[in-house]
Amino acid sequence: MGLEILQGITSIILILGVSPLFAGLVNKQKALLTGRIGAPVLQPYYDLQKLIKKETINSQSSSFISRISPVVNFVSLIITAAILPVGFWKPLISFNGDIILFAYILGLARFFQILAAMDIGSSFEGMGAAREATFALFAEPIFFFTIGSISFISGYTSLFEIYHSIQLDNIYYLVFILICSISMFVLAVTECSRMPIDDPNTHLELTMIHEVMILDNSGVDLFLYQYSSYLKLFIYTILEIAFFYPFSKESYLFGIIIFFVGIIVLSFILGIVETITSRYRMKNIPQYLLFATAIGILNLLIFTFSK
Amino acid sequence: MENVLSILFCLSLFYVAVTSRVKEYVTILRFQGIILTISSIIPIFYHFSFLGLILPTTLLLVKVYLIPRYINKVILDLDIKRYIETTIQQMVFMPIVILSMIIIFLVSSILAHNTELNVIPFASGFSAILVGIYIIMFRKKLIVHVCGFLILENGIFLFGTAVASELPMMIEIGILLDVFVVVFLMGIALNRIRSTFEGFEVSHLGRLKD
Repeated sequence: MGLEILQGITSIILILGVSPLFAGLVNKQKALLTGRIGAPVLQPYYDLQKLIKKETINSQSSSFISRISPVVNFVSLIITAAILPVGFWKPLISFNGDIILFAYILGLARFFQILAAMDIGSSFEGMGAAREATFALFAEPIFFFTIGSISFISGYTSLFEIYHSIQLDNIYYLVFILICSISMFVLAVTECSRMPIDDPNTHLELTMIHEVMILDNSGVDLFLYQYSSYLKLFIYTILEIAFFYPFSKESYLFGIIIFFVGIIVLSFILGIVETITSRYRMKNIPQYLLFATAIGILNLLIFTFSK
Repeated sequence: MENVLSILFCLSLFYVAVTSRVKEYVTILRFQGIILTISSIIPIFYHFSFLGLILPTTLLLVKVYLIPRYINKVILDLDIKRYIETTIQQMVFMPIVILSMIIIFLVSSILAHNTELNVIPFASGFSAILVGIYIIMFRKKLIVHVCGFLILENGIFLFGTAVASELPMMIEIGILLDVFVVVFLMGIALNRIRSTFEGFEVSHLGRLKD
């Protein structure tokens, strides 16, 4: 029991510590692929360090919501990090049905961010909030169809149990990884506002989604938002790596190796995808998301009717 | 293995439903051709015969090489615009495809209770037939209609392998020849249409009189 709690706490610390590094890796990869030297891999840490030193200024027209929103955001992401298994370490929070909690805690974080963006009273941020809400609407079914179908295969509803109980001799699981990693990738890209949906580097208000919502924040607030966005990207990465956990049924060590190798490989893939694709037009994004939803539905259909 | 290939086939159908570029249709046709070729190679591993090699080779030649190349050539020659034009909103197409696919899977699982058939290849072939019909119904460009027809044809091929494990080879090769001739004629027809009208949309043909 004591060991399990220790493992849970270690995995949260690991997630909190490594998440900016992952963003740094992706950015470095992108820079190298476009022929630049790029910022150092540890740049996100420096950015965070710079932000936390600065003074926080809030708009006069804003209410208490924009003050509590960064904290709510950050805390909810830490809670979701506590649900995720790292390798085969038992996560701190694990009970039947925690996949629903996972989805809705993330939903809560998004809700507060949208509220805070509208609270400030700038028209740009209202626009960003509207976009975030619209795309979140299309992204939610992707999560439920993908994770729903995997919980369907295994017969469990807790993230840890699901990956612990999958039998690899089922050939469908390999197909499942193939299909689900596509839809999970689309989900990660959407939720974290990465390249085909939103360009994290541009500061043109008309095209931004996530960045425009935190335009008026500064200091510690911005630090919390920025850290949460790194965390969010990392959480979705782990969710994608988790499909490969059943290959490491035997030992903890192998699970950890899969975890780290997965992180590096995914940062490469994300870097490559962000280099070769350009941002989609706003009106085409719902189609892109519907495509991923369709994949999830296909998954569910296959597992229902192939018994 | 057959199931995995059919699932990939279904994914390609989804891609067709969301994409809005003519070139991507040709790429998908090539991809589906590769899938069908692999699925026709599989029986050879069980009992090898030189006669069995004819079908995969022809498939590879016709579906992967000749037809896509010919369509690309037509697109280049006639200078067709890159984007497809739809009669309904592009957004609506995907939900229609998803809904029909769900119904098809339900129906084929009911059918599988009584007859000996492989649900997943059967259902994906069936869905390809429907998607092909939808493309012909909801798109304006003639060249896209040809692609829709070819997707329908691929669906029938997959459907055939699901129902009967082996069709007589002469019939399959006959079908292939048929398809090739149809595509060829379509290309000639498109060339003719261009000399009479500007553009290649079906809406122009509605104005024809006796």
